[in-house]
Amino acid sequence: MSLLTVEGAVAGYGAAEEILKGTAIRVEAGEIVTVIGPNGAGKSTLLKAVAGLLPLKAGRIVFEGEDVTRGDALARARNGLAFVPQERNVFGTLSVDENLVTSAFLWPADARKRADALYDKYPMLAEKRRQLARTLSGGQRQILAMAMGLMTSPRIMLLDEPTAGLSPSAADALFDAIVTLNREGMPILMVEQHAVEALEVSHRGYVVVSGRTEAEGEGRGLAADPEIRRLFLGG
Amino acid sequence: MLSAILQALLNGLMTGALIAIPAIGFSAIFAVLRYPSFAIAGYITIGAFAGWTLNVSFGLSMEVALVGAALVAALAAVATEQTIISRLRPSGALTAAIGSIAMNLVLENIVRFFYGNDLRGYDVPLVPDVRFWGLRVGMQQIETLIISIIVMAGVFLFLTRTRFGRAMRAVADNADLARLKGIDPRKVSFVAVALGGALAGLGGVLLGADTSIDPLTGFRILLTVFAAAVLGGLGSIPGAVVGALSIGIAEELSLLVLPATYRGAVGFVAILVILTFRPRGLLGERAL
Repeated sequence: MSLLTVEGAVAGYGAAEEILKGTAIRVEAGEIVTVIGPNGAGKSTLLKAVAGLLPLKAGRIVFEGEDVTRGDALARARNGLAFVPQERNVFGTLSVDENLVTSAFLWPADARKRADALYDKYPMLAEKRRQLARTLSGGQRQILAMAMGLMTSPRIMLLDEPTAGLSPSAADALFDAIVTLNREGMPILMVEQHAVEALEVSHRGYVVVSGRTEAEGEGRGLAADPEIRRLFLGG
Repeated sequence: MLSAILQALLNGLMTGALIAIPAIGFSAIFAVLRYPSFAIAGYITIGAFAGWTLNVSFGLSMEVALVGAALVAALAAVATEQTIISRLRPSGALTAAIGSIAMNLVLENIVRFFYGNDLRGYDVPLVPDVRFWGLRVGMQQIETLIISIIVMAGVFLFLTRTRFGRAMRAVADNADLARLKGIDPRKVSFVAVALGGALAGLGGVLLGADTSIDPLTGFRILLTVFAAAVLGGLGSIPGAVVGALSIGIAEELSLLVLPATYRGAVGFVAILVILTFRPRGLLGERAL
């Protein structure tokens, strides 16, 4: 049984043409899975649908053997799916510490303990714990956003273009953080524009084109595939 | 002239402290529910009359009147929101705002039905004004200032030190992200409306103790409260305090050069000026 399965997902915004037209992916326990594809292919829409921010019109989402298709974002958070959006992923008017503690809203009893554990894991956050989140740099903000995701006791992290807008060194540091997190046992499903780098650290990858899953393979294999490189990776 | 200006500043500070309490309530509701609730005028009036009933009809202390008024006004606010406004909000902020104006009229007339149109005064002892450095300030105003400071400190502690307070700020900042963190915006909205109503009710009692009350008490101060919230930045709690103090002081200073009849125009002018030059308000980005 896969940890997360998305089957025949159809979704879109309002009456416009559907963005997802039968997308199918799966994530096994302990994996990093990256979804790549051209702009407008529906990668972020897929993550939003998995996170419960966009209802499916057809298809289903199964997490840990349970059909969670009908739940909204609140229910998915309770189910253990942590979605880290690409933009506006921290509460800018709250301090770093408040961002962490507030993210554990459903688990107030040990929120402090968890936040302190994350300060040990990400010392940069400890240094800036009293700063407003909006004053952080792009890379620092992404680390905070991931840490906020971890505060919700997730059993999978959904990362929407975590390195978007970051400098190459900040992006590398973030990929390192993602790999470390995964080695500690956290399954990760991410969508990335930096496709080569993302696929190289992923166990498996999917290529989504026009809302459909066009290819699937081992991460490094996809990154090295000349056809994939020509079509989507600009190389 | 200098002492007249200092006296106006002092009076403005007192007036501003009084306006700040309902203005914080107005901003708290706006920050979370994203519509301007003009029904706050009705909550102020209901609070003023609930406090008056406890203080005058039942002979209870002002402290009890304040607590009772806050509870009754919070209840009125929650009932108004849950039964009427929540049905209008899906149609947009403008619809909800217009609905809140209608609900203010409803609440005002409920009060009128039970209490009539007469002016009523709280049972507060008459105490001579305090005089210092050629300035004069009433004991009641000093008490109002102290209560306002205590209430503001309480709101600040609630918003920064409690789980629901922080959740309220999180929803005000980014409701979608809050939902992803397991925060139910409906529960937070409930708390925000109850807090807004309670603060409006407290404001009603403070107004009543300062002057007298009638069913139009809330409506009369509505523009000033709205102007304070807009000036400070809609949805910003510190902004509401800064806006209220600014409007209070501006109103009092205007009396030095304008007849008292034009005092109410200060709120209108403040709204026009701030919307023209700084539409997000003085502290619009620092929503607490």
